[in-house]
Amino acid sequence: MVLVLHPHELAVLEALKGTGSMPFERMEKELGIDSGSLRWAIEGLLSAGAISVERRTGTTLELTDEGRSDLEAFPEELLVRELMSVGGSADASSVKNGIGLIWAKRNGWLEIRGGRVTLSQAGRDEASGTKQYAQRSVLKSISDTGVLGAQGSDAVVDALVRRKLVERKTRNVIDSVSITEAGLKLLSEQRPGSGAEIGALTRELIGNRGWAGRRFRSYDVNAGVEQGSPARLHPIHELISAIRRIWLEMGFTEVSGPVIESALWNFDALFSPQDHPTRDMQDTFFLANPKSIGIEDAKLLGRVRSMHTKAWGKPWRLAAAERALLRTHTTSVSARHVRKFANEPGSSYPIKLFSIGRIFRNESIDYKHLAELHQIDGIVIGDNLTLANLIDILTKFYAGLGIRPSFKPSYFPFVEPGVEVYYHDDKRGDIELCGAGVLRREIARAMGTRKSVLAWGIGIERLMFNLLDISSLSELYRNDVDWLRSRADTSL
Amino acid sequence: MATTTFSLADLKAEGIGADALARLVPALGMEIEEMSGSDVTIDITPNRPDMLDFIGFVRAMHLFSGKRRSDAARYAVSGQAMHISVSDSVAKVRPYILGLVARGTNLRGDRLRYMINFTDKLADTYGRRRMKFSTGMYDLDQIKGPLSYAASRDGSFVPLESSTEMSFGEVLSEHPKGLAYGYTLKGGRGLVPFISDGDRVLAMVPIVNSSHARVTESTRNLFVDVTGTSMPAAVQAASLIACSLIDSGAVVSPCVSDYSSGPVASPLLDYRSVSVSLSRLRKTLGVAVDAGSAVSLASRMGYTAGARGTSFTVGVPPYRLDVLNDQDVIEDVAISLGYDKINPVPVVSASVGRPDAIGKLHDSVSLLMMGMGFSEAINQYLTNERECLDLMRRQADQASLVRVEHAKTENISMLRTSVLPCLVRDLGRSAHEKMPQRLFEVGSAFAISGGRAVESYRVAFLSEHSKADFSEAKGVVLRLLALIGARGLSVDRHNDGAFIEGRCAAASSAGKPIAVFGELHPEVLTNFGLEEPAAGGELILVEEREYQA
Repeated sequence: MVLVLHPHELAVLEALKGTGSMPFERMEKELGIDSGSLRWAIEGLLSAGAISVERRTGTTLELTDEGRSDLEAFPEELLVRELMSVGGSADASSVKNGIGLIWAKRNGWLEIRGGRVTLSQAGRDEASGTKQYAQRSVLKSISDTGVLGAQGSDAVVDALVRRKLVERKTRNVIDSVSITEAGLKLLSEQRPGSGAEIGALTRELIGNRGWAGRRFRSYDVNAGVEQGSPARLHPIHELISAIRRIWLEMGFTEVSGPVIESALWNFDALFSPQDHPTRDMQDTFFLANPKSIGIEDAKLLGRVRSMHTKAWGKPWRLAAAERALLRTHTTSVSARHVRKFANEPGSSYPIKLFSIGRIFRNESIDYKHLAELHQIDGIVIGDNLTLANLIDILTKFYAGLGIRPSFKPSYFPFVEPGVEVYYHDDKRGDIELCGAGVLRREIARAMGTRKSVLAWGIGIERLMFNLLDISSLSELYRNDVDWLRSRADTSL
Repeated sequence: MATTTFSLADLKAEGIGADALARLVPALGMEIEEMSGSDVTIDITPNRPDMLDFIGFVRAMHLFSGKRRSDAARYAVSGQAMHISVSDSVAKVRPYILGLVARGTNLRGDRLRYMINFTDKLADTYGRRRMKFSTGMYDLDQIKGPLSYAASRDGSFVPLESSTEMSFGEVLSEHPKGLAYGYTLKGGRGLVPFISDGDRVLAMVPIVNSSHARVTESTRNLFVDVTGTSMPAAVQAASLIACSLIDSGAVVSPCVSDYSSGPVASPLLDYRSVSVSLSRLRKTLGVAVDAGSAVSLASRMGYTAGARGTSFTVGVPPYRLDVLNDQDVIEDVAISLGYDKINPVPVVSASVGRPDAIGKLHDSVSLLMMGMGFSEAINQYLTNERECLDLMRRQADQASLVRVEHAKTENISMLRTSVLPCLVRDLGRSAHEKMPQRLFEVGSAFAISGGRAVESYRVAFLSEHSKADFSEAKGVVLRLLALIGARGLSVDRHNDGAFIEGRCAAASSAGKPIAVFGELHPEVLTNFGLEEPAAGGELILVEEREYQA
């Protein structure tokens, strides 16, 4: 019985038929077979006596145990993230991560002066994840490909070797391959469909039933293969879809509103005094262009003005209400819809609405603060709606996410009573989920309704810490292709 | 939110142990931020500035736990009034001053520190960084002669934290407090308000006190001033501080500010009366509370309360600045009752939920793109001109950009005008990972048109691998156009710096351009760190998002 060759083996013999022998590297390039598969084919042919092989000693790069453990994050990366989380600076004596300190200093990520360690701009960039760390990229590529030679600059490889993350190992490598007489014979015997074991099933073999009565060559089912690279939804999209489904099941209708908003809808309509600190630039992105957004609803303006002057006594300025900004919460969308459904003819109350959208906070960015987040807001407009109703709605909503919420008092300027929803996690303590309450009567009146309104706002990103086991919010929006493909399932 | 830190030993001495804190603080709607070693740090919500103070905090805890009863007669002034003469010169810079006198207070141990922290935080938050009001404390026994409040361009004194005499101008330009709070005097044409006894300056307000008459731990008798630009805020602050001093054991006497228009006395320690209907209480909370229970629940929150048929009336203590009307009292009754005592009650309705059209569009486009092997990216809308335009070899009219002011993060200056640059950046960061790499994103981009900000809704995609080319991009665009049902299609050669000239096209539907696609220019690839060829494009799904209401 004639030995049936694997296509790779066949390709090797075909390549050698003309030249007799060929250097390994050239064969790799000409055949377009990756070096691992090619080595496998050569070893197979060698054991069949079809070829002979010249070897020489060569150098390979391999990860050490320490290198493997640093694949996810280097000590210096951990250090700058940690520094970022405490405002970018700390006492040198409090830094226990010595290796991290040495390398972060060497990389120019931080400065040590007067007993304090302070992040440089480069260090801040590093911590915010805007660039991938060269040492880690190279380490990863060595780990992924395990190839000969360096995949990055030599200096980086040298550094990795000095750090004992990578070892240079001397090994016997294949220098060149030559075909033998037996090999030539074997090649001449190879005929498609010649009655031997079948390698690859082809269109022809299927069409002419050439496979009938023949054996298929068996494969090694334990041979290593690469995992599939699926195209997937972004995890935030998955979470938003799950949340949307719950609200729809509970009979809520989805609404939306603009991201670029007037201060009126973001602040004034919600009873926030015009001199309130959160209206300062510290927390709010006011726009340089456009500067303002005109408001046409004169009736509303009159009532908002009188709500403010009555409660806060100060002159209320239209110019401040018309200032353009990026909304700081989706409660602006809720306010717009309280106004819309104040006296909408034909509406049947209670009206139940929710919205999902982006919000913006002018904050310094670190592992748990982003300038841009997603929020869900909800309202119910109706007669005599109570705190007990609100607790019922939010209990049902969180049950849909598999969370059993608790309720405690809290303060939000636009609701009274105010509620904070949280749940208890044995590892991390009480986790805040949502702010809620009964909308202040003044606001409902200013929006033109005598009905009562229940309202709540839910931050989405914080749920992700749990669902995906991530350590930094910025990971969510880095859109690293490998992470998008291989991230954990959100089980939603 | 403001935080305040107290010593656990001081609280223990008042009968408040760590267990009680852990139970009562959240029940009152606050949060323990940190309890470690000898201190506890508590997040105080902005509606309860009275609890920023150690004495006020202890008061609230004792009332809530039933250790102490609300008492209307407690907060009162007695004794002879002190006078401050107010010059008209302050009218344009910081017009209001109120005062009070406290005899027999105790500032030993941590008490002085607590008092200073409290008044500083009050002026920083409620006082809007000392603009609306700020307060100062003086050793009453060191004050000689009549007090006056005036404003002048010239003057000098030895301020706290300084060993030498400084002029008003030097304090504003050199002293740390002058640098921090000098801004409150802008618009006063160089006039500096100050308090003096006879010839001596006691304080330059609201900046820094003189080292003369400085308060120490052994001070027993105090004069306190509240100055500001808002009279109602100053009145509230004076009440709040007076209550705290009374609860510390001091006897508080009034102070009269003599304006040229007439005298104003302070502190006003009156209980405002608010009536709450029991049916309103039930309709807000969803639990029935009878008059007797409502009265005792309100008392635990510090109100004096009495039932009157179908309603009850509370007296709001002078240290509560947040109570506007019955809604605030109802919340306090709910807090006193405990939110865990409020059982859920379903809202009766038979409504059917409907999703927003844009969410459905996002889903169907995403499914199609995933089917073609593209993973979804979600990027931030905030970006900067370099990344969104320059590195993409694109230009835009400055007036068409939605720009933000004063971003705290350097690389934020505008909202993105296009989605594609975000994907190019994403793939640049993933350069070392396995090819092919394909990403798409569905989301908004922004521009100003006709003086208005316009939000368009788009899908962008990018494919990077050794064989990525124009045909791949065109194939994706054609499939997307079929999905959205675009009619009257034409494809024309197009110029866009981001793409290679001659390998870029625009697709139009009924004569209106809706998509641009092609092979990315090698300089763009290098700018973002992509090492392989890339092809991609962007398609407008909704030209302008319109929002109802």
